[in-house]
Amino acid sequence: MNSISLTVLAVSFVLTAPHAVADNHQPIEAAATTQTMVTAKVNGMVCDFCARAVTKVFGKEDVVENVHVDLDNGEIHVTLKSGADMSDAEVEKLVKKSGYDLVSVGRESL
Amino acid sequence: MNSISRTSTLLVASAIASIPMAEARPVSYPGGWTAMQMNNGDMSSLHLHYSPTAKDSIGFYSERNWANDWHFTGLQYNRLVKRWNTPNSQANLYLKVGAGQADPFGNDADVDAAGFVGIGADWETRRWFVSYEGRAYDLGVDQDARQAARIGFAPYQGDYGDLHTWLMLQVENQPEADTPTVITPLVRFFYDVQLLEIGYTPESDELMLNWIVRF
Repeated sequence: MNSISLTVLAVSFVLTAPHAVADNHQPIEAAATTQTMVTAKVNGMVCDFCARAVTKVFGKEDVVENVHVDLDNGEIHVTLKSGADMSDAEVEKLVKKSGYDLVSVGRESL
Repeated sequence: MNSISRTSTLLVASAIASIPMAEARPVSYPGGWTAMQMNNGDMSSLHLHYSPTAKDSIGFYSERNWANDWHFTGLQYNRLVKRWNTPNSQANLYLKVGAGQADPFGNDADVDAAGFVGIGADWETRRWFVSYEGRAYDLGVDQDARQAARIGFAPYQGDYGDLHTWLMLQVENQPEADTPTVITPLVRFFYDVQLLEIGYTPESDELMLNWIVRF
């Protein structure tokens, strides 16, 4: 009986040990892979040259991984690199630098 | 100024006056370069400019007049004076200044200093386009002016990266020309960083071919 109990305990330990290790690391990995998408609503963006200007200006920033322009809705979707952030003031400065006017800024975790 | 030089000046004036008015958006994004190459039956031109800011550009301008064998070379500065941004439209007011020399090729006529000032204005939505440009030049013994206006319509709306097509009508007025006012229907194709315009002017029986690229 004792030997059965020990076997069960041993098996339980072996099976649960890796999960415990994984659980310990999960928060760290999640933090490292957290990405933010900044959505900037702008005025005046009506053509491809406008969109290209925005793409070029935002794309030069080190924290930016990808820029997508939605002409239909007048929005710029900026995907930041893992763990990076961009302040509203910085977004406004870059929109202005591109030649357009910022209306609003939103953020979404990916 | 002798008669040859005076004649040269007048021919150069004509050449400059025939510069196409299609210099849409003469200012790019900060750090952006733009090449504008324009042709009609009488001339070809190249304007290569750099934009240090979203409000300024400066660059090289060259135009060769095949009809009169004249070559204009100089610098052109463009300034975005004012931009109006709305949710569905954009309007701009530009100032343009050029200075350089007019060089006749194929004969020994004098090279003359030349310059011009101009204003440009446009209003654009994703469906409609309206623009105006007026330009006046001074070549010492001769002055002239010209103006042009355009209206355009996009038959469909594409998103960023799609092929955009515009149907346009240009009205150009040069008071001192043989035919002061001409109308040119044209088609504008706009894809990625390239813009191509093809038009035809019935009054002068000439084709228009303009090409712009930004990089």
